[in-house]
Amino acid sequence: MLKNYLKIAFKVFLRRKFFTFISLFAISFTLVVLMVAVSFLDHVFGAQPPETKLDRTIGVFHLQMKSPDDNNTWSSPGGYKFFDRYARNLPGVEIMSLLTDTFDGGKVYSYLDGNKIESYLKHTDGEFWRIMEFTFLEGGPFTSDDEKNANFVAVINEATRKKFFDGQSALGRTLEVDGQRFRVVGVVANVPYLRTIPFADIWVPISTMKTQAYKNQLLGGFNALFLARSKADFPMIKEEFQSRLKQVEFDDPKEYNRMIGYAETLFEFMSRPLTNSRQEEPAKVGRALATIFIIMILFMLLPAINLVNINISRIMERASEIGVRKAFGASSWTLVGQFIVENVLLSLIGGAIGFVLSRFVLRAITESGFFPYADFQLNYRVFLYGLAVAVFFGLMSGVYPAWKMSRLHPADALKGVAR
Amino acid sequence: MIKHLLKLVWNRKRINFLITVEIFFSFLVVFAVLVFAVYYTDNYRQPLGFNYENVWSVTLDMKSASTPGSRESDKQQQFATIKNMLAGLREFSEVESAAGIWGIPYWSGDWTGDREINGKGKDFEIGFNEATDEVKDVLGLNIVRGRWFGKEDDGATNYRPVVINQLMARTFFGDEDPIGKDISNPKDKERVEQRVIGVVDDFRKGGEFSAKRGYVFHRNDLASEKVSPPRSLIIKVRPGVTAAFEEKILARLQAEARDWSFDIKPLAQMREANFQEYLVPMAAFGLIAGFLLIMVGLGLTGVLWQSVTQRTKEIGLRRAKGATRRRIYRQILGELFIITTIGLLAGVLVVVQFPLLNFMGFANSRVYAISAAISLALVYLLTTICGLYPSRLATRVQPAEALHYE
Amino acid sequence: MTSQATASTTSANGAQTSTANMIQLEGIEKVYRTDRIETVALSDINLSVRAGEFISIMGPSGSGKSTLLNVIGLLDVPTGGKVSVNSKPVTSYGDKHLARVRNEEIGFVFQTFHLINDLSVVDNVEIPLLYRKGLSGAERRKLALRALDRVGLHARVHHFPSQLSGGQQQRVAIARAIVGNPRILLADEPTGNLDSQMGDEIMGVLKGLNDDGATIVMVTHDPRQSEKTERIVRLFDGRQVS
Repeated sequence: MLKNYLKIAFKVFLRRKFFTFISLFAISFTLVVLMVAVSFLDHVFGAQPPETKLDRTIGVFHLQMKSPDDNNTWSSPGGYKFFDRYARNLPGVEIMSLLTDTFDGGKVYSYLDGNKIESYLKHTDGEFWRIMEFTFLEGGPFTSDDEKNANFVAVINEATRKKFFDGQSALGRTLEVDGQRFRVVGVVANVPYLRTIPFADIWVPISTMKTQAYKNQLLGGFNALFLARSKADFPMIKEEFQSRLKQVEFDDPKEYNRMIGYAETLFEFMSRPLTNSRQEEPAKVGRALATIFIIMILFMLLPAINLVNINISRIMERASEIGVRKAFGASSWTLVGQFIVENVLLSLIGGAIGFVLSRFVLRAITESGFFPYADFQLNYRVFLYGLAVAVFFGLMSGVYPAWKMSRLHPADALKGVAR
Repeated sequence: MIKHLLKLVWNRKRINFLITVEIFFSFLVVFAVLVFAVYYTDNYRQPLGFNYENVWSVTLDMKSASTPGSRESDKQQQFATIKNMLAGLREFSEVESAAGIWGIPYWSGDWTGDREINGKGKDFEIGFNEATDEVKDVLGLNIVRGRWFGKEDDGATNYRPVVINQLMARTFFGDEDPIGKDISNPKDKERVEQRVIGVVDDFRKGGEFSAKRGYVFHRNDLASEKVSPPRSLIIKVRPGVTAAFEEKILARLQAEARDWSFDIKPLAQMREANFQEYLVPMAAFGLIAGFLLIMVGLGLTGVLWQSVTQRTKEIGLRRAKGATRRRIYRQILGELFIITTIGLLAGVLVVVQFPLLNFMGFANSRVYAISAAISLALVYLLTTICGLYPSRLATRVQPAEALHYE
Repeated sequence: MTSQATASTTSANGAQTSTANMIQLEGIEKVYRTDRIETVALSDINLSVRAGEFISIMGPSGSGKSTLLNVIGLLDVPTGGKVSVNSKPVTSYGDKHLARVRNEEIGFVFQTFHLINDLSVVDNVEIPLLYRKGLSGAERRKLALRALDRVGLHARVHHFPSQLSGGQQQRVAIARAIVGNPRILLADEPTGNLDSQMGDEIMGVLKGLNDDGATIVMVTHDPRQSEKTERIVRLFDGRQVS
């Protein structure tokens, strides 16, 4: 029976080219937008190298100090002193790493033969390389000892190697950045710009900073990452972090006497603006996901109404066909089946076109260079989302018209009366 | 005629309902995108209030524990260093003038405050900046009243001199002369008089696409306790100076402060990045909305086409009873017009709530009205285009075709 | 031959006694209700059709003849009364069951042919077989070609309906009606859209099928055609007048 449905469906598609085109256009266009959005989210938040242990990682990305009368707030990424003194040895944490926020003053310049080279510099420690799994093209990471001894060593990415060393092996060679000289100990594959935590062009030990002022700061420039033994330990770590906040000794308690912050996942942190949750309260992930979901549904609403409309038209146009089929022994359910098969098939074809188009669009975004080192991929996860969406579309846009059609009385249908 | 059409539309309400819903949502989508487009275009056409050409910015990273309330001696040291830097920069023949400023144009950071307009009880958001005396020359600020900061303000100890922009002057003082007026916040307990000494054009730090707002410049004399070291230096270079000069600037600045870092960038480049930040999302949403409209248009054409085919008998009958082709054409388009109007009315009812609910609150009612008007026109245009072919098809129905059906 | 048929006054246990009756209607009533108006389309129709009979239903426009045919063909559900097809009381059947009876027992021929323009001639003829289990594609094709052969159309099987003349289209429709070997053939003004010569041809085909054993009920308002049937049932205003 299915084979027959498919055969009829194809015949109908070919004979009704305009309707087929509209349906395919609507489905594939909607899919392209959804797939690009999903792959964008996946690109930013999905677990992919070097952040392969994302499911066990939380961090502190923002802190606030409040004055006694609550009138003054100073918010910024955390300071080295705060993390070093109060955030170490949290129970359940396997590895803790401190790293500067690349986007907070991490942009540095080098001058090479009169050309200006722009790079992003990240200061971090030896533990960073144990939380992240970078792909090393040559050499390896610097170590905790390098950090302790303030060794001027650097890990650079492939793009930096190309800019400074013309793509030749860079191991042991030096490069000057922001007036300081570093010896290259490792070269890694480029990390996309939108992977905000690990992203940089050049990674160097924290202790090589120009001044040691950072050691006295409660706030300023640093993020902390915690690799938990397991995801189940997150609540415990979060709770312990809150109690640590209460132990902070302030330089001048008359000016600031309260510290506010959360150990949270990057998604929790980034979702704050979406849910309007202030820094004073924990992030509302559920609501953020719901918001994203609702936006997607709202976006799909128009194409869906459009498809339902088209499908009703398509089916009503075939009222006489429905009448004939009923007269010759097709039950209502058989016909519902036929129309749903038609719609799902159309959705799948639209889905296939959507996939191809999405590839083009993602390739174009990647190659536009708007997001440095981005590589938007249609990976299998995104592929499955897309497939599910396509089938969902087919069912959603097919069920209502099919139901309407099945209620059509054969005698009416034959007369071409469609109400 | 209209009554007759309304009756037809009503009797086919189930089919028409979905079309109406589709038109309603299309209108909302077009409107949402247009509000942004109209808002940005509106802003873009306003004067910018400064000149970005041949201006380079140098953002300073002093690497100090510059927490608020840092020691005064540190600050005085920083002032001295910055004065030396500015003097050093002015020695270059490539440099026309150099200044220190808290917030450079196009930078996303902002310093704002609410001020109650005298007696009106409504807060008015204004932007602040702290600028040295040379900022006027570097940014080419246009003084429309009074004067800019200068040496003569050194003696001002019991008040702080400020320069405001025209919008601020108009909003707070109307037609009165703002010079000499105090604009300090009455709610501030330790308030010091802030005396207006001049008015500049409507300076917009956020750039071409940002909204006009009240703006206040404080004077940075690089000495007093009340001011902090500028975040950035801005330099007006002579036309034709190339990027190679950056290295020389950097060397000069580094000589003054070994452990500071500097981010040198032409304002034109920041402007470009700022444009991209506004235009790329705009283009993306515009593109999506455009495709949505094409899709809706195609769908509508299909539905109308089918509906005409299905009504061949009715149309044939009308023709047989003496309706001209023209009348049939008008009837089909008229029905479509009524359906569209119903959908759009619902859309307008929703959109009218936006200013009341302060949804998309950045836009004023003029922007809403223009966007709504363009959206209405666009949707009417779209539905009319979609209706053209099907209605033409309807006029081809021969009276005899009514008889083919029982 | 025309026989002055009386409405067969069937007894209450008629279903058992007249096993030879292919179609049996008892007290059929059909009322259409729209928002405010009630229209009586059929009222107290009692009719038996024996196996192998060829009858025609006549009456002016709006007399309910098409509705009656639709009730017989199980396309329309009467508001009252009983319908039996091949001694099966179908009145209580659900949608699925009715569909099976339509598929196995009944073939339809319509005035406006109702061919599916998107399908070729042979595909159109195959339609009833699609809803029958256990037939392979090749078997369906073979049966469809045989049916087309019986109506004298074997040359144009891969044409589309729009490429055929009216008479040819009606032959395709008849082939479709007989392809599943139903015992009952219902024809709603089969010659109504054809000129008299083509109409006579189609009548000839139907007569031939009747000779082969098919029970045929034909709605018509053309006395010339109804005279060729064995019995005429006349309707006026939803009532049986003869």
